[in-house]
Amino acid sequence: MPELTIDGRKVSVPDGTTVIEAAEQLGIFIPRYCYHPGLSTAGNCRMCMVDVENSPKPQIACNLPATEGMVVETESEQARKDRAAVLEFLLANHPLDCPVCDQAGECDLQNYYMNFGLYDPRFSEQKVKKEKAVEVGPHVMLDQERCILCSRCVRFTDEITKTGEFGIFNRGDRAELGLYPGETLDNPYSANVVDLCPVGALTERSFRFKARVWYLSSTKSVCGGCSRGCNTDLHHVTDRPHLNDAERLVRVKPRFHAQVNEWWMCDEGRYGHGWIDRDRLGEVRRRTDEASRRQVESDWDAAENALAPALAAANGRLGVVVSATQTTEELFSVREVLGERFGARIVVAPQAPGGKGDDFLIQADKAPNRAGARLLGLSDAPADGVESLVDAAIAGELDSLWVFGEDLVELVGAEKTRSLALSDCLFVYAGTNDNPTVSLARWVLPTAVPVEADGTFVNCDGRVQRVGRAFAPLAQARECQRVLCELASRAGVADAPSWSTTAEVFAAIAKSTDAFAGMSFESLGEQGALAASREPLAEAGTP
Amino acid sequence: MIEALLIKLVVASVVFGGVLNLAGLHTWVERKQSALIQDRIGANRAPIFGFKLLGLFHGIADAIKMFTKEDVIPRGVDRTLHTLAPFFSVFFALVAFAAIPFGPQLHLGERVIDLQVARIDAALLYIFAMLSLGVYGVILAGFASRNNYAIMGGMRATAQMISYEIALGIALIGVLMVYGTMDLSAAVEAQGRTIAGGWIPLWGVVAQPVGFVVFLVAALAETKRLPFDLPEGESEIIGYFVEYSGMKFGMFFLTDFLETILVACLATTLFFGGWQIPFLQADGFHFPWGTEIPVANWLYVLLGVTSFTVKVLAFCFVFMQIRWTLPRFRYDQLMDLGWKGLFPIAVVNVLVTAGVMILLGGQG
Amino acid sequence: MAVKVVQRPQLTFWEKLYIPQVLCGLRITFRHFFRNLFLHIAHRFGRRTGERAGVTYQYPEELRPLFSRLRTRHRLMVRENGAPRCVGCMLCETVCPAKCITIVPDEHPDPDVEKFPVRFDINLGVCVYCGYCVEVCPEDAIRMDTGILDIAATSRDAMKLDIHELMNPQLRKPVASCELDFPHQCEVHGGEVRGSWTQPAAVAHEPRMKPSKLRTSDLDSRSSA
Repeated sequence: MPELTIDGRKVSVPDGTTVIEAAEQLGIFIPRYCYHPGLSTAGNCRMCMVDVENSPKPQIACNLPATEGMVVETESEQARKDRAAVLEFLLANHPLDCPVCDQAGECDLQNYYMNFGLYDPRFSEQKVKKEKAVEVGPHVMLDQERCILCSRCVRFTDEITKTGEFGIFNRGDRAELGLYPGETLDNPYSANVVDLCPVGALTERSFRFKARVWYLSSTKSVCGGCSRGCNTDLHHVTDRPHLNDAERLVRVKPRFHAQVNEWWMCDEGRYGHGWIDRDRLGEVRRRTDEASRRQVESDWDAAENALAPALAAANGRLGVVVSATQTTEELFSVREVLGERFGARIVVAPQAPGGKGDDFLIQADKAPNRAGARLLGLSDAPADGVESLVDAAIAGELDSLWVFGEDLVELVGAEKTRSLALSDCLFVYAGTNDNPTVSLARWVLPTAVPVEADGTFVNCDGRVQRVGRAFAPLAQARECQRVLCELASRAGVADAPSWSTTAEVFAAIAKSTDAFAGMSFESLGEQGALAASREPLAEAGTP
Repeated sequence: MIEALLIKLVVASVVFGGVLNLAGLHTWVERKQSALIQDRIGANRAPIFGFKLLGLFHGIADAIKMFTKEDVIPRGVDRTLHTLAPFFSVFFALVAFAAIPFGPQLHLGERVIDLQVARIDAALLYIFAMLSLGVYGVILAGFASRNNYAIMGGMRATAQMISYEIALGIALIGVLMVYGTMDLSAAVEAQGRTIAGGWIPLWGVVAQPVGFVVFLVAALAETKRLPFDLPEGESEIIGYFVEYSGMKFGMFFLTDFLETILVACLATTLFFGGWQIPFLQADGFHFPWGTEIPVANWLYVLLGVTSFTVKVLAFCFVFMQIRWTLPRFRYDQLMDLGWKGLFPIAVVNVLVTAGVMILLGGQG
Repeated sequence: MAVKVVQRPQLTFWEKLYIPQVLCGLRITFRHFFRNLFLHIAHRFGRRTGERAGVTYQYPEELRPLFSRLRTRHRLMVRENGAPRCVGCMLCETVCPAKCITIVPDEHPDPDVEKFPVRFDINLGVCVYCGYCVEVCPEDAIRMDTGILDIAATSRDAMKLDIHELMNPQLRKPVASCELDFPHQCEVHGGEVRGSWTQPAAVAHEPRMKPSKLRTSDLDSRSSA
């Protein structure tokens, strides 16, 4: 346990700790480009140089092991001069692209120059021209001129994905980042290099010229792409609809979580958010004509007036298909209202076949909350539960069938869904996006997507994590628990729940379900918490 | 009988036609005169067939605009009173002109025609009555508009007009005493007399200089124009006709000008000899140095009417000049001036006049 | 609270009498009146034309000389090849305190230019003429020196300038045709297509502004949220 002094403050750190990590423990930030805690140390950018007592030259903090009695100065005159000099070199061939660069505003080169730069440029030579706007992969755009050759991306492809597409070629001022011949950056984690890149050399193609980063608001969230539940930051813009093709969610960035995803996330999850703004169900629809099964726009009032009496009269002849893509709160409110109050048979849609996982982050189960459904006791139905439920509905054993968010056509086939639509069963679809099932339902209720309503997902390891609320529900869409509470009170249920916020629903879950005991939205925080009962999660564990 | 009626109709139409046109012209005078005072050009657009005539057509353009504008009646107002108020205003201002004599008697053959719509014994009282009734238009407008600003504007206007009417009335008592009549024609005829050996005509302004000043100030206040335009205060304090638009607003506007002209007529009649021309008697000029020029009746009447018109126009001009010279009073200053300034001065003036008349042995 | 006692001016006896002061005021206004009346008449006869009777400018026949620093209607600077100098960095949109600038950038076929605006609208009905956009522009692409002051329109929509009008200050709505040669197709602006720029055949370029499934009402509901 060496004890060292950094900027006059003492800290003792474990053996092998570098100075940059030790400084971080003290809350002292040393600027860096090539250093990344998730990658090996390269030490080539020289940005993190600090003054060390009794050392003839400045040392790079990222590769300097802390030793007993070491005295480090990060803000000394010499350290500042060193940084300014390093920045001057880094900028020698860096183009003045900031106005057109998507990284501008979150660029470490800009930021550090603002803090430590020379401000009195001496460079008057021609800059070296390299290739711009190179599409290195499906998601990533490379600008070789902007690259400062920190090699973070090279190390990422070497060490994390082990695909090794990137390399640095040539020498001197002609050194440039590039792909090995015949390679494209198309590994499933390729876009992480964009997050790693401290400058605008690697940018996201999907974000290219969509917005400036200072327009974006950020919400801490959890990816719903698979049951891993990677922590994310949602970047969204709601006050400038002319940007980003009028979509609110602009991009998703991974958020550090030591136990779940570290610094990374997969491209599938990162770019799988289009459904939040595209093909959304915007308004309540109802079928007007039994013969043609034509749907017209309706409103919530009409829907509640029609559905509440049907629920009140259901008397157990009610079937519900829920989805493991719904938040725990939605599943819980379905269970409490439709299950407890109206005696519905609730079936969770099974895991979609064909989902592929890997040994890193990606899980085969693409539903983010199957563990949550299990914890709520909604997983008891047999494998063909949905099909038998639909069969029962067609056979007239059920008065009404509610489907939440799942595409029945995919689950039981188009034929059966059509017969269901033709049967006397009151077929209600409540969901967020358009799919082939929607047009067959008698009532279509638009519900809010998780990031419009907040809620929790329980990931494959049993970690309960908050989704967060980024923006308001689109158009007429409403939060699931609000729809169900209003229906219950409209149907005259004596003990109808009256949750007005998602936090209240979660409080109700924590009260009634052992696995969530003692939790609240506040206590979940940014890192989530492990559900108490691990037992029902055994089959969904990490591959 | 029919003939007499016809003659009255002709006289009435001449008076009201003249007065209304003069009021219309006032809008042009107001624009142009203020422009000259303020080193501007003034309204010079609104051409008809390319002729601009110094912007004279703006009055017509205004009239067209007023008539074609939407007549907004706010929700919740008393529609009858709201509509009635501007008519009240204009009506009482107009009928007051009936008692103003604008020329000497015209002899057409056997017939003797008074150049006056109505020869009333108590013409002065009649005019005062009409002026007082004009307040109703204002207070009704404020009251019926269902607008706090309007009703406060109406209140201000009422308080101001009632206060100044007192000073106005008392200022005229002196004139009444001097000429001994309330009949305006008789008063004008009385001003044909001369004093100081025939050199100075005994006009009201000579006999009652203090009364004239008090009358002038109080009359300006009666017209609700600057520096006494607190009832309106278009630009900031908001007056009684804030809820009026279109021609109803135009009528209030017209009332202002009518009252200005009425006050000019009154000032002319009572203090500047009405249609009298110095040294001109019914049969011709009698100059104090002995020269005499005989004048025919028709010429005498013509000269009289011209004299009256010129004097009225001169007063209108002076009023306009005052309106574009002085800034607005504060309300307390306005009340101070009315009650602590003009009212005592007028009373003292009456007393002094009475004393002087006693000293002079009962004659003016 | 500090109380400030304002000393009212002490009036002399003659000032308190009002009348002399009123006459003094009248003297001034009469002097102006008759001087100007005389000059106007003299001007009619071609005399004393060196002296102005009115100090006002007879707009719109007579225009006031504009100072060079005066901020007037915006224009977008044009490169020699007719393309806008703007690179779509959106700094002006960012700095605009009135939020009257709307920019939609897109990929330029030339990778050295990279970014350029396909849509650049300024809503003059909202603009406060602060000139921050000119100040902030890193490319000197926007200036407020057209000298156009008489900005009036009969509808709010007509107050919105698009990139065509901004690059051609002479153009007035409706833009029937535009002679500027541009490497992109004219895009859809608020539901109506303006201009007729043709796309050079050599440039394979896919328009990015696809009609969205979202409707305007959706956007409204979310911006209020």
